[in-house]
Amino acid sequence: MLPEGLLTVIYLAAAVLFILSLGGLSREDTARRGNIFGIVGMALAIGATLFHDPGMAYHILLGAVAAGAIIGIIVALRVAMTAMPEMVAMLHSFVGLAAVAVGFASYLGAAPETGMTVYLIEIYVAVAVGAITFTGSVVAWAKLSGRVSGAPLLLPARHVLNALVVLVIIAAGVFFAAAPFGEAINPLVVNAVLASLLGIHLVAAIGGADMPVVVSLLNSYSGWAAAAAGFMLSNILLIVTGALVGSSGAILSYIMCRGMNRSIWNVVFGGFGTADTKSDTVTTDDGVEREVITVTAEDVVDELKNAERVAIVPGYGMAVARAQHGISEMTHKLRGMDVDVTFGIHPVAGRMPGHMNVLLAEANIPYEVVKELEEINGDFASTDVVLVVGANDIVNPTAQTDSTSPIYGMPQLEVWNAKRVYVLKRSLSTGYAGVANPLFFNENTAMFFGDARASIEGVVEHL
Amino acid sequence: MKIGVSREVEAGEKRVAAIPETVAGYEESGFEVIVEAGAGEQAGYSDQAYRKAGATIADEAPSVWEKADIVLKVLPPTEHPDYDQHEADWAREGQILISLFWPAQNEDLTDRLGDRGATVLALDCIPRISRAQAVDVLSSQAGISGYRAVVEAVHNYERYPGVQYTAAGKTDPARVLVIGAGVAGLAAIAAARELGAEVYAFDTRLAVKEEVESLGATFLELEFDEEGEGSGGYAKVMSQAFIDAEMALFQEQAPLTDMVITTAAIPGREAPLLVKEEMVEAMKPGSVVVDLAAATGGNCELTEAGKKVEYDGVTIIGYTDMASRMANHASEFFSSNVAQLLRLLGDADQFAIDLNDEILREMIVLKNGELMWPAPKLPPQDTEEDGAEERAEQAAADPVVVEGGEAQESGSPSKMVRPLLYTAGVAGLAFLVLIGVYAPPDFIHQFTIFVLACFVGWKVIWNVKPSLHTPLLSVTNAISGIIILGGILQVTADATTAALLLGVAATFVASINVFGGFLVTQRMLKMFRSEDEAAEVHSAT
Repeated sequence: MLPEGLLTVIYLAAAVLFILSLGGLSREDTARRGNIFGIVGMALAIGATLFHDPGMAYHILLGAVAAGAIIGIIVALRVAMTAMPEMVAMLHSFVGLAAVAVGFASYLGAAPETGMTVYLIEIYVAVAVGAITFTGSVVAWAKLSGRVSGAPLLLPARHVLNALVVLVIIAAGVFFAAAPFGEAINPLVVNAVLASLLGIHLVAAIGGADMPVVVSLLNSYSGWAAAAAGFMLSNILLIVTGALVGSSGAILSYIMCRGMNRSIWNVVFGGFGTADTKSDTVTTDDGVEREVITVTAEDVVDELKNAERVAIVPGYGMAVARAQHGISEMTHKLRGMDVDVTFGIHPVAGRMPGHMNVLLAEANIPYEVVKELEEINGDFASTDVVLVVGANDIVNPTAQTDSTSPIYGMPQLEVWNAKRVYVLKRSLSTGYAGVANPLFFNENTAMFFGDARASIEGVVEHL
Repeated sequence: MKIGVSREVEAGEKRVAAIPETVAGYEESGFEVIVEAGAGEQAGYSDQAYRKAGATIADEAPSVWEKADIVLKVLPPTEHPDYDQHEADWAREGQILISLFWPAQNEDLTDRLGDRGATVLALDCIPRISRAQAVDVLSSQAGISGYRAVVEAVHNYERYPGVQYTAAGKTDPARVLVIGAGVAGLAAIAAARELGAEVYAFDTRLAVKEEVESLGATFLELEFDEEGEGSGGYAKVMSQAFIDAEMALFQEQAPLTDMVITTAAIPGREAPLLVKEEMVEAMKPGSVVVDLAAATGGNCELTEAGKKVEYDGVTIIGYTDMASRMANHASEFFSSNVAQLLRLLGDADQFAIDLNDEILREMIVLKNGELMWPAPKLPPQDTEEDGAEERAEQAAADPVVVEGGEAQESGSPSKMVRPLLYTAGVAGLAFLVLIGVYAPPDFIHQFTIFVLACFVGWKVIWNVKPSLHTPLLSVTNAISGIIILGGILQVTADATTAALLLGVAATFVASINVFGGFLVTQRMLKMFRSEDEAAEVHSAT
């Protein structure tokens, strides 16, 4: 029904809308508009594709789209913001799965007249990348939702193993490309299986603290999978969109790594060239029993009331305890009492990039008081009270001093410079990186034990 | 190694470059310290106190220079009134002088010391980077000047700066205008606020607005597009139109303002004229103007350097020794900065001037007589880091640590990565050539578009604010649901059953992605509220 040229032009419009969509996210006030652009672009693309060829089986297609829509909408409406990382991981897996399915479908379909070898290679690559994305994302989802331990699975000679798998995939690929079209389904299956295993292994080998990077990496892979499918189907929109998403994910991963002050190789291949992360507990290095000062809600409230400047450093613990709403109420009360309240967000706080920001926004905290690390680090010296809520590895002084620590070199929020630090935590256990934190034993630090939400609610009550 | 502490001979200079406490520190770390008699007297530090700290007292100025390997001074060497000689003539080859120097304004002095073969580290040439905070005397002294300016202003004001409620009546707060919100300006704002005054501030750099407001003052803005941020965190020279608008603003403020404190200095140049005669005339009698830029010409037309004058009932203070007026603390801070510098230089046991250190490279004027100043400019860094560092420099009172901007690879991986990158680059080129020769034209066409799209993505994504990274992940995830097209295209009427099933499956899962992804993003973005929106919502709940 649609002339080919018009379809391409509509694809062009969709691509432009996608670019504008991503651009809109550079500021909060244009962000919502950006999302709308994306929706319109997607609608155009899907609509035009559905109706461009009368030979399509509409009823089946519309049924599939509708079914997916229902599930997608239900999941999106019900997901809690704290569960955002695992949901995003799960969604990435779908793109990978779709890419694999489309790859196989193409292979089982009609042979092309020209460019056979290139077409075969494209199918092969699409299936490989799709499979890695699929299984990698599933493992990421499992780790993030706590169904699988966050500790990295470090098999012996794992680099060699990965290299071997890649070599076998390439070898199978040669067979695949050499065979007549449609008759070499086995190498393709081998490819899919091996790539899946590779995906599982790669993500399983990455430690829990590095999950934010993994999520952005998988985001990137899903883009490349879409692009590969685009080459395979000669669909310009798939190629362009895949490239946009792929580079977006790659940049986010790089930014995350910079935020942790480690190179991306280090993170992805887990300890490439340096000591492998020991997930372990150095208690105090001299074996001395250190005491912590414990406080109650009333103590904290007293200090808060007398403070002029208060800073709050949230971490994953705040997400887990769902304490962001209590914190919001506390913040509004304090601001009403002329206390200056700001939030310090570490680039890798939480389990995915921007995790804390989303939670704080959900709790109605205006974005102007939410500061990044560089903006707030200098202010701690003039801050009266810092509340560290469920954060640990981002407020650890040993990251700056102990060169054997797994988090050495990672920029920290220097809360210890403030006059008083209260750490809201359930116990003295280590954080995600498994590293002990001497901050707890500082003279100006006091531990406010308990569930973060309950603790904050106690504070709000007494304010 | 021996450190010599000289007594300042310039008229009005009461500060000293080392106090008994830092002297004790030097002795402890292995230096021998010789202090000229009376060096710290005007700052409140007696010779006895220095002796107790372990120093030897030298009665004559020249003997300090004779014995010391490192000489510490506050102001640059000058003609000594008691000995018909210039202090610089006492310098010898290889001797190190650490003091304020102003090499740009003191060429003769530089030559003189160069001829003597001395090494000079200029304390005023410290780069305005966060790492140098500890040795930055300009900031430490400027902070004191700013504070003292308010003290002098209020002293001459003869009225209460703040609100007073008494049985005999209530006083209104004084209105203070601070021009220039650098280190001195911010200190002045803070001091005035502490005394209860209503403070207004102006600066050509919009970036300081937040700092000013965080101190409780009101930031006065011009309706102007020009931005005053120069390099090194200093303001730059503004266009005439801007200056005219600025002066119009001040003229407007003049009749309302009780105390004006100006701190606008431009390094190496004459201070800009900001407060004209008309403005002073428009001010109420009893008002005070304190001009901290008096030494370089003054911001006020009527300023007389070093003096306090009266014009039309308004007192105009042009003292050039504000920091020296608080000599005790000023010396304490100055000495602390110097002690930190000596620590940076390795203390007694590992003393070395490492020119690879950015701070030392900028500071060194002469090395054994050889001219090293000005230091060559370093290549420009990442713009992100620059912005953060400039913000750091202005708020020198609030050091901001900008650490680890680049991914720091530990020794071995970075050495391994380089050759890897080179081989990757070569492989990439080879790949491109192969494509060009062997690939079908369709592929090349698509590949071109692919590469260009990657660049577009690259450019666009760098601008995304970190706080929006999660919605970005979510929206790109939704957009990658475009793979649904792949599924749709498989489901044609003449497709094989296998292809049909696979296509439907792909369409189904991709659809979850599309609808779920956009909806979740919408949910998230709805939550990001600005302060106004948040206030509305909060008051509504």
